[in-house]
Amino acid sequence: MKLGREEVQKIVLGGLIIFGVIFSYFNLLLGPLARGKKATRERITALAGEIEAGKAQLMKTEAAERLAPEQAEVRRAMVSGIPEGSPVAWFPPRMGWFFKERGMEKVSTRMTSEVVEKEVRGFRQVVWTLDFPKVGFFQFAGAIADLENAEPLLEVTQIQIDAGREEPEVQKAVLTVSHYVNL
Amino acid sequence: MAIRLNLYHEVMKVEALKRRDPLKISMYGLSAVVMGLAGYYLWQVMVGSGLKRELAGKVVEFQEVERKAKLAKAREEELEEVAKVGVYLVKKAEGRFYWGPVLEQIAGVVPAEVQLTRLVGGVSGEGVKRCVLTIDGVSVGAEPRRVAENLRKALAEKLGVEYGGVTAKFRSLEDMAEGLAKGGKGISGATFAIQAEFRMGEEVVVETGRRKR
Repeated sequence: MKLGREEVQKIVLGGLIIFGVIFSYFNLLLGPLARGKKATRERITALAGEIEAGKAQLMKTEAAERLAPEQAEVRRAMVSGIPEGSPVAWFPPRMGWFFKERGMEKVSTRMTSEVVEKEVRGFRQVVWTLDFPKVGFFQFAGAIADLENAEPLLEVTQIQIDAGREEPEVQKAVLTVSHYVNL
Repeated sequence: MAIRLNLYHEVMKVEALKRRDPLKISMYGLSAVVMGLAGYYLWQVMVGSGLKRELAGKVVEFQEVERKAKLAKAREEELEEVAKVGVYLVKKAEGRFYWGPVLEQIAGVVPAEVQLTRLVGGVSGEGVKRCVLTIDGVSVGAEPRRVAENLRKALAEKLGVEYGGVTAKFRSLEDMAEGLAKGGKGISGATFAIQAEFRMGEEVVVETGRRKR
């Protein structure tokens, strides 16, 4: 069978059309679709990871919530002895009463300095100096031991006891204490 | 046998040629291929739509979880702060230096021949507490220097039971120029100053048992 010129032209033209159609099908239709699906799958995977992380955070917080009452109780127990208001208003009288109950009168208490704690927000450390004009060594030692047991947020940082020249059995004493109070 | 003539053969040939027309057959084939491709494309579009629906669902879920996670994170930080403060204060309270036992130990080692005239003590440091004690006094007796030395040794030994790194040294030890009298008899005396140093405790480490993300 011999093809005429017109038929050859038709076949060539048909071939070109088929090639164009196939090229368009894969590149203009299936190509963008495949790229879109790939991007969507990647986004879904990423979101799944973030959702898992969010759920892990929720579980972590739930675990923290379970421990919270116990930890809040510890905190409450520690700060329960700190009255409201300025420490200058309540700490010196408190020390006066404390040592008066143990037979030491005329204790003078004055604030020396204060430091804001960086580790614990909401607290500051106040340094006080307590002067005792007349104490007995054993009485004083016993009172310090009581004070350390009664005030968990107080620490005696310096102590000075001087024996009197006229009455050797009576001493003068100075205490420096640091105490945690609310900001 | 009768002879049979087909006078209609040309028409039949044309009809047969029409039935076997390559253009028509190829058009059928092409149509089938086009339908297949179109079907595949539609299938892919449906798969894509399914993925988009899944993504939309995930986005909604993520937004909800993210909102809750942000609140949970803030709450966790709040709880952590409460726990941290509690733990820190407890550690501080437990790591304090107690003077009561120290004064009791000093009182226990001072003999009758010694009178303390001054006691100065200071404590410093976080976690490991370093304490420096200075004890001034007067010792009397036949050998007042020996009495003071015995006090220094006894102090070091007593403090060493409970504390670490104990040292006790004389800063001064001198015979008294003025004579002392006891029961009408003259006795010799010496003034001394002993400096004792020791340490207590461990470093304070705040650990709440949780880690930040």
